[in-house]
Amino acid sequence: MYDYIIIGSGIVGSLIARELSKYDVSIMVFDKENDFASHQTTANSAIIHSGHDPKEGTLKARLCVEGNRLYDQLEKELEIPLLRTGAFVVAHGPKEEKMLEELYDRAHNNGVPDVHFLDLEDIFKQEPRLIKTITKVLSLPSTKVTYPWEVAFASLENAVKNGASIRRNSHVVAITKDRDHFLVELKDGTSWQTKRIINASGVMSDIVASLLDKDVQFQIIPRRGEYMVLDRRVKDTFHHVIYPLPTFRGKGVLIVPQVHGNILLGPTSEVIEDREDASTTKEGILYIKEQLHYLSDQIPFEWTIRGFAGVRATSTYDDFYIQESKYYPGFYHVAGIDSPGLTSAPAIARYLVEEVIKINQPKKINYDPIRQKKLFFNQLSEDEKSIRVKDCPSHGRIVCKCEKITEQDIIESIHGPLGNDTVKGIKKRARAGSGLCQGGYCESMVLQIIAKETNKPLSTINYDGEHTPILVKETKTHEHD
Amino acid sequence: MNMIDLAIIGGGAAGLAAALSAHDEKINIVLIERDPQLGGILNQCIHNGFGLHQFKEELTGPEYAHRFIEALKEKGISVMLESTVLDIQKKEHFELILSSPIQGYQHLQARAVILATGCYERTRGSVLIPGTRPKGIMPAGSAQRYLNMEGYLVGQRVFILGSGDIGLIMARRMTLEGAKVLGVAEIMPYSNGLTRNIVQCLHDFDIPLYLSHTVTNIKGKDTLEAITIQAVDHRFEPIAGTEKTFEVDTLLLSIGLIPDVALFDGLNMKKSPVTKSAYVDQHYMTNIEGLFVCGNALHVHDLVDWVSDEGQKAGYHAKKYVLSSQNQEKDDQVITLGDHVRYVVPHHIDMNHLTEPLTLSFRVTKKMTSAMLQVHQDGAIIFQRKSAYLAPAEMESITLKPDQLKSKNPIRLHVEELI
Repeated sequence: MYDYIIIGSGIVGSLIARELSKYDVSIMVFDKENDFASHQTTANSAIIHSGHDPKEGTLKARLCVEGNRLYDQLEKELEIPLLRTGAFVVAHGPKEEKMLEELYDRAHNNGVPDVHFLDLEDIFKQEPRLIKTITKVLSLPSTKVTYPWEVAFASLENAVKNGASIRRNSHVVAITKDRDHFLVELKDGTSWQTKRIINASGVMSDIVASLLDKDVQFQIIPRRGEYMVLDRRVKDTFHHVIYPLPTFRGKGVLIVPQVHGNILLGPTSEVIEDREDASTTKEGILYIKEQLHYLSDQIPFEWTIRGFAGVRATSTYDDFYIQESKYYPGFYHVAGIDSPGLTSAPAIARYLVEEVIKINQPKKINYDPIRQKKLFFNQLSEDEKSIRVKDCPSHGRIVCKCEKITEQDIIESIHGPLGNDTVKGIKKRARAGSGLCQGGYCESMVLQIIAKETNKPLSTINYDGEHTPILVKETKTHEHD
Repeated sequence: MNMIDLAIIGGGAAGLAAALSAHDEKINIVLIERDPQLGGILNQCIHNGFGLHQFKEELTGPEYAHRFIEALKEKGISVMLESTVLDIQKKEHFELILSSPIQGYQHLQARAVILATGCYERTRGSVLIPGTRPKGIMPAGSAQRYLNMEGYLVGQRVFILGSGDIGLIMARRMTLEGAKVLGVAEIMPYSNGLTRNIVQCLHDFDIPLYLSHTVTNIKGKDTLEAITIQAVDHRFEPIAGTEKTFEVDTLLLSIGLIPDVALFDGLNMKKSPVTKSAYVDQHYMTNIEGLFVCGNALHVHDLVDWVSDEGQKAGYHAKKYVLSSQNQEKDDQVITLGDHVRYVVPHHIDMNHLTEPLTLSFRVTKKMTSAMLQVHQDGAIIFQRKSAYLAPAEMESITLKPDQLKSKNPIRLHVEELI
């Protein structure tokens, strides 16, 4: 019997697991996929927003500003990457300037620190590629950029260190209530007892809620956002997150410098039917390019290396929905976490535990907030590199040439805490295949390293989910051998 | 720090040829290769058709590489295997950072460098094909490696986007291994592969080639389930109502090759927006004194024979550069491009040092069934040759003797279409 079962290991579920692991409670995190944090957490803008945009008085406004601040603490405790870019919101002409002034007031009311208007000359000096038709710019210095997947991963790793359990390929198909506990049934036939359930299942959260709750107060309206990625060679073409003025559809199409040097362009915002349909579209790319005209006429599109899309869990409830079920005490929904969900996640976790669950026990004395990040070879100093290769020759073998990832980096990602044995899992952990050639050169080597390290035949190594082997049939020559 | 005269980076067709021709007992050369064996991409090209120009016979890729590797051994040229060059900087000399599981992490100094790092395949991301992102979509060369080096098919029902040569070769190869290849789509109105490959790899196996078509949708969550192709108009925009859907588990991409010049990152290199690689003179030297580029790292070739040829020339000139001590005054004249010429290598000619025959390698911008290739200088035609067939997919070349040039003024390369 667990004290808590958390359904979903995205950034919200992961940070809740970590928050709960500060207390003397037993925790299990389920994720239905073959890897953790596979959906919304891996496909978003990666921005830690300042909190200038949510309506005053909402939970979103409060948790966004708090979450932004909490990231500084997470950076120290979990060694997550944080790029302190700051952000510019740009306006063209008097009508937009007026809207920008309203945005300034809202940012101010929400408690966003240091928000101010900047001199145009200064702006173009700092961001020479911005379009010269811009007439007014609001600066939001507290805006930052992170690597969201690593935040979820680091939080889970730290939660595990503090006693939490996690389980992949664990798709919840039924929930029942027995007198003093819940019974959670998985697709694989196993069932698990728990005193409380936290529903952090993103775009699936209304479905998970309705497994038990009769009267679910929210419904997910999946909203897809498409993006384009530019190679890290465009580093320094833009230094700040660049926003247009927000519209009813969201924050608009942005320019976002990423922690690894890439630049992200997007997102679109489109309501879709199939909540797992993360496809990209021709229209989406055209829309992004067209919208970017408001921001810059000097975007190095020739360095485009990838397009992707994520599905955001927008809900019918006009704010984050973080509440206990009315009919089933102990069943908590953390739902409708769309933008600024990534920013708010650390504050959401704390709010849930302290103000919704109102956990009534002291924190563990042996709780260890620290997660030490494993440095990759290319992050070491020249001297350390040379010593490392001497000690461990597989550090000398460069597998992913584009991102300079070594065989040892990959071996450690396979075996590390929350290790993984899929090509995509290794890409997320070690960045092998994230560069210009997108794995064209190194994928076959990654496959071989995984096979060797896990003692499995080459043909059973999956690309991502279960039953997605890259190699499907031996050649005729093999058959005759 | 170790000091060498000439470092050649890349042990494929270009690097092997460069090392052989640069060999001279007066200079020390090292050939650096990231794989455990020499040969580069030739090792996975087990089909034949290599060597018709170099050896006057048809060889497979590994056989072709073997000839060069044997010659290299005979000459005792030193080779560093399993060594990846991570960075090149130009200080007084070139400084290379190398990483190897055998020799460790080290810095190396070189007086001259030849980059022969080949090319990489364009990916789905660079052309942003719409749809989902399941497994089963990969560059044709990756599928070739899995098939010919590891011994596995990546799928059984295959569609190929792009009519580049690797895609065509893979259409035949996968068919022979029992896979069903349902078709090849090419966005251009003409094929991007060699004519012989269209005939031998598609026609002979009844594989349809859809010209002026492209893939406009991809379906499947975890595994590829289907792709949709559509005809495109003259602006390459898909035409509504022309959708055809194919149920496949594999989509191979053969949509172009790009010179792999990641090592330019640490250098102040001038690059051509067309070839995506360096501008070189007739000695294959870049704007950085002592740095040469050749083979597919300079511009993508159709035939390995021409890659070797270019490697030989670059090796010869790099050797001459190392052996000549004094700094020589240059007189660089850019070759201007006339009608229908997409690019030319070399980009400019050092007129003060034009002592050897000059080879102009170039591509045209469109298919022509009758044309006149011309070189102009000082308002006069100094060279011309008739051609019965020109296509963007096939590289052309012209060789001029130094005495054919009338002056040190720039030359102009021109293609006159004859109707």
